[in-house]
Amino acid sequence: MKKFVCHIILISMIFSCADDQDFNQFDDLSVEPTLASSIFYFESDETTINLAGPGAFYAQSFTFEAFNEAFISDNILDGIITYEVENTTSKELQITIDFLDVDGNILDSESFIIQPEPAPLLERQIAYGAGGRSLDILRNTTDIRVNGENLGDAVSTSPQTEPKIILRSSAEFRLKLR
Amino acid sequence: MRNFKLVVFTILMGMVMSYAQNKQLLYDFYEIPQSLILNPGVKTPYKWHMGIPGLSGFSFQAGTRDLSVNDLFAQDGIDFTTKFRDKVINGLNQNDDFGYSGQLEIFNGGFRSSKRPSDYYSFGAYGEGFASIFWPKDLAVLAFEGNASNLNRRFNLSHINQQGEAVSVLHFGINRKINDRWTVGARAKIYSSIYEFKSTDNEGYFVTTQGDDNIYRNTLVADVTMRTSGIEEILDIIDENTPNTQADLASLLLKRSLLGGNLGLGFDFGFTHKLNENAFLTASLLDVGFIYHSGDIKNYTLNGAASNEGVEIRLPEDLTNLNNDIWQDLIDDFERLIPLETDDKTYVSLRPIKLNASYRYNFGQYSAKSKACDCETKPVSKSEDFDYKNALGAHLFVINRPRGPQAAITAFYQKRIGKVLALKTTYTADRYTLTNIGLGLNLQAGPVNFYILGDNILGYQNIPASNYASLQFGFNILSWNSN
Repeated sequence: MKKFVCHIILISMIFSCADDQDFNQFDDLSVEPTLASSIFYFESDETTINLAGPGAFYAQSFTFEAFNEAFISDNILDGIITYEVENTTSKELQITIDFLDVDGNILDSESFIIQPEPAPLLERQIAYGAGGRSLDILRNTTDIRVNGENLGDAVSTSPQTEPKIILRSSAEFRLKLR
Repeated sequence: MRNFKLVVFTILMGMVMSYAQNKQLLYDFYEIPQSLILNPGVKTPYKWHMGIPGLSGFSFQAGTRDLSVNDLFAQDGIDFTTKFRDKVINGLNQNDDFGYSGQLEIFNGGFRSSKRPSDYYSFGAYGEGFASIFWPKDLAVLAFEGNASNLNRRFNLSHINQQGEAVSVLHFGINRKINDRWTVGARAKIYSSIYEFKSTDNEGYFVTTQGDDNIYRNTLVADVTMRTSGIEEILDIIDENTPNTQADLASLLLKRSLLGGNLGLGFDFGFTHKLNENAFLTASLLDVGFIYHSGDIKNYTLNGAASNEGVEIRLPEDLTNLNNDIWQDLIDDFERLIPLETDDKTYVSLRPIKLNASYRYNFGQYSAKSKACDCETKPVSKSEDFDYKNALGAHLFVINRPRGPQAAITAFYQKRIGKVLALKTTYTADRYTLTNIGLGLNLQAGPVNFYILGDNILGYQNIPASNYASLQFGFNILSWNSN
């Protein structure tokens, strides 16, 4: 019996074999994570808006190079930018977001007009990539400009505690890492 | 791409450091002089022995726990990304390690003391290396799926756990038969580190949660360290990419192999105890030592904590802030809170201590010529100890690993066939496999000794489906003790 077992073991070594393998399958590996992050947050209290008077109360550009970082711009497949605007002031307000290229040209613009309180939360999702706006907008964006405009009066005050206009934004980008 | 595939293939084909250094077939197979390396207190039935340089000992072991090459690369018509997600991303966890170990004897010899025949001196040099990479489960999920679908999940940075090294070892040992019951031995080792990298005991996490003000809040808490020695100079030579690159690299590695690397000191201890005429207890403790790393060191640390909800503009506070580099400020703040720093501080690395223990029972046509009188100190003779016909026993192996000790238990059966052939078969169980059957052969043709030891031989039926492979072989020239 022992001899038999030894023979079996020896034979299994001698006739060791391998199933067919296809290492080229590795080329088919697809790694496409979806990354989520907040982009920017804008907030102004009602007092500041009233002090500025009717019309523009804020206009500012700032560098924003998250989109044109090579890791994003080289790999992005598609994405969604989500905006949430919340107004608890007593006046109608307009917030405009401009995506600018390095020369200051407007690549994309999104404008939000929101009623005085009690206004519902305004949500908007902008798709980029297939079926949406061009990914080149994101790839070439180096600056963001935020404009705030008071479309109402400059004297009324909201009964809410700490009345504000708030704009939140986030991005969810699907990247092709492989 | 080709190189990347090769790396992946190598990782999958191979490795598992944890039991990679278990040499259960060689342990106490004392017809083979290399068994002295595993137990300096093993029986030594030789007058002298000399390994054939470069051929006296070679071993390589490689394996994975839950993954085989066949799992991914079999021609089964299943989409590769699906297989990768099921078998790798979801199939492995942070306790699955990939690793390999290899050992090559440079020279090996031994001789019996003429003044004190109970002593057997051994000496030699060998090079060995290993790599052990625990699967970074959480980081792999983060890379494969991203954080968008994993809100509130903490991606644990402690899953980063990897180490590897190459070291040359110069050793000298003494084996002494104290009496008929006890044989003890000790060995001193000088280590010369060729390179080492180690990143263990990391802590921290990355998590995406609902923001306090904005929609998302990303938080990174990191306490991650990577220590390297001997790596930078190698990388510099490779980066130069000149016609002399290969020669320069070979010269550097040779210099470090010949005590030109970071040096260390270690010891092995072992014994064989004869319980009765047929029963033996053995044990050894190997690599109780350290290496002091002082040259070509580069250590990396990522330590700190930061949370982020994007660029923030708050009025009226920011009305007078005309700085439009808010994005760069955000990056600078992040790098200030979690700095990636490097240093060249010296450090000491402890060797991975290994414990072997075995119980052996000889039976068959055993013709003992000496009695257990606790007084016999003559060297073991070939006829005495090779007179067993069969031996049966168990062997325990434990190695100290970054995530705690890992053990393997082996049952073995050994048989001598005439004066020239000895066979050993083992069954080993550990956390990786319950089907590891090994087979060893020692052939004695006059003064020439040849051995070959193969582990997990059932895996040879379909090598790509095997999780583990191991092979050891070598040649020696030796002279037996006279009767």
